Amino acid sequence: MKEDSIIKRIYKSPYLHFVVFGLVMSLLPALTSGGILKTSWLGIIGGTIIYTIAALGLNLLLGYSGLISLGTAGFMGLGAYISAYATGNLGLPWEIGILAAVVIPVILGILIGLASLRMEGLYLGIVTLCVSEVLRKTFDELEPITGGFSGKSAEYPTLLGMFKLNQSTTFILLCVILVLVMILTYHLANGQMGRALNAMRGSHVAAQAMGVSLLKYRLIAFALATGYASLAGALYAHFIKFVYPSTWNLPLSLVILSIIVIGGLRSIYGTFIGAVIVYALPDLVLKRIPVIGDINGLSYVFSGILIILVVLFYPGGCVTVFYDLKRLLKKLTKRQVKDHV
Amino acid sequence: MGGRALSTFLQLLLRSLETGAIYALATLGIIIVFRTNLVINFAQGVMGMFGAYIVTVIFTKFGIPLLLAILLGIIAAIAIGFVVDFVIIRRTKKVGGSGKEIITLGMMMVFLGIAPMVFGVDPFRLPKIIETGAFTLDAANLSYNSLLNIIVGLALTIGLFLLLQKTKLGLAIRTTASNERTARMLGVPTKKVTLFSWALAMVLGTLAGVLIAPSTSVTVNLMDSVQVNAFIACVLGGFQTFYGPVIGAYIIAIANNLLSYYVSSVWGTQILYLLVIIFIVIKPVGLVGKRVIKKV
Repeated sequence: MKEDSIIKRIYKSPYLHFVVFGLVMSLLPALTSGGILKTSWLGIIGGTIIYTIAALGLNLLLGYSGLISLGTAGFMGLGAYISAYATGNLGLPWEIGILAAVVIPVILGILIGLASLRMEGLYLGIVTLCVSEVLRKTFDELEPITGGFSGKSAEYPTLLGMFKLNQSTTFILLCVILVLVMILTYHLANGQMGRALNAMRGSHVAAQAMGVSLLKYRLIAFALATGYASLAGALYAHFIKFVYPSTWNLPLSLVILSIIVIGGLRSIYGTFIGAVIVYALPDLVLKRIPVIGDINGLSYVFSGILIILVVLFYPGGCVTVFYDLKRLLKKLTKRQVKDHV
Repeated sequence: MGGRALSTFLQLLLRSLETGAIYALATLGIIIVFRTNLVINFAQGVMGMFGAYIVTVIFTKFGIPLLLAILLGIIAAIAIGFVVDFVIIRRTKKVGGSGKEIITLGMMMVFLGIAPMVFGVDPFRLPKIIETGAFTLDAANLSYNSLLNIIVGLALTIGLFLLLQKTKLGLAIRTTASNERTARMLGVPTKKVTLFSWALAMVLGTLAGVLIAPSTSVTVNLMDSVQVNAFIACVLGGFQTFYGPVIGAYIIAIANNLLSYYVSSVWGTQILYLLVIIFIVIKPVGLVGKRVIKKV
């Protein structure tokens, strides 16, 4: 087989695809300020990006290593409050705030990873739910740091202490971070770690027999999932600019879970598609439809039914639709060639 | 002085028995579905919320007496349980991994969405079954309604155990619980068993909702804390038996009240959850669970 030329290799590189994807996304502020799209799109797509980041972490955990976590919301909240407190009350630079907001939850995540070695399957789900509940109740009560029920406000980030961002530039920052997270996820998932996690999902006993260190990779998986979730939470604090304790409840964890199930387990673009379907579509499309759009709870019913249908009839998630279409197209063109001969 | 401390303790214990009864009902709903379908039903809480909403709406909108409203609510709950099993659960036989649990999460979202569509967003109030009256036991007060709740919880739990142990239906449930495929081969109508288990779970959830409703208002969040506590009770008691989770439910209720009163009203629940997590790490199968040895 002939080696691909360098240009072709660069063209085929998934990293380049992520960068192009990010560039296309960051055109959005230009479109909204140009009046082509409504300004509300910025907030909704920004939220979608934040949800995608949190969901990518859960995808590493549930998709690759098969460990279920229902604590995503708690960690997102923890990241949000730490970052808001560090930048707002302590006056620390944004970069340090976000670093603290990722590191502290990761330590907690590693502890859960340690505990997870003793449990199986859904016990773990309920224990992570327990942790998330403890965190959520703490957000309610720890008023000096979290502001209690009245919530806590945060500012748009100031980069390097001098570049003060507004909504559009924060959106571009979100795009940059999303691309970095996607590249990191791709790199991890397709390297040695991805293979180890895949082996663990199949059978952790067999994986151990093959020399995969269960301790090491479970800890890494949990550290990554909590790290991504808290990063998403911290970005939420600085993009939405307000944090309420009631946001970080079980339904939010379920929304993140439904994103990866609907979009596609073990797929990076699938996660984004899932976030668009679950988070952006109800806001951008469903609520615009006359009469039906005014009904309360429609978006919940929409995602709920979609989850059930996807698990029952399309276990690979919505992203496999594209692969199936590609295969179908190939089949059709092949048949045509044959007919000609 | 000592007498007062004792009566406070007694009061706390009685109140815990009341919340314990509610948790036990929700827990039984989860465990009966888990044993017969091998799925942890994350929708148990919202199913109970939905049932409680139906009772409340029948009671307030149509002015039907409360007991009759509860009876109608139970009938509606059975119907919804049948629909859930018929439309969704039957088709999940081939779904592997955590797929079934994720489907129950989807069901949870559907119920959460339908509730405000059907019942509106304004909260309702549901009165107590016995409005007034209390009796005193060694300086500890207990309203007749609380007593009724305790008795209903215990009676239903005991009734369910009798059903499981003494009747033919109970035998069918236990056979299905131990091995669904073998049960089917032996001629147990497993389809009817799962149908029954979902209806029963829905009824138990509804009753738990009706019992807890008077102490708060009927909203979509009615069962949130009950659900979380019921799950924790299941893990604490172990999923392998029917009675373990019920014991867990009462332990959670009692420990929560005692910790909140004697240690800290703000941090009591968090301390309890942390203790449960530590317990699970030490003994992962729960209080009365057996270790399931998995073949590779």
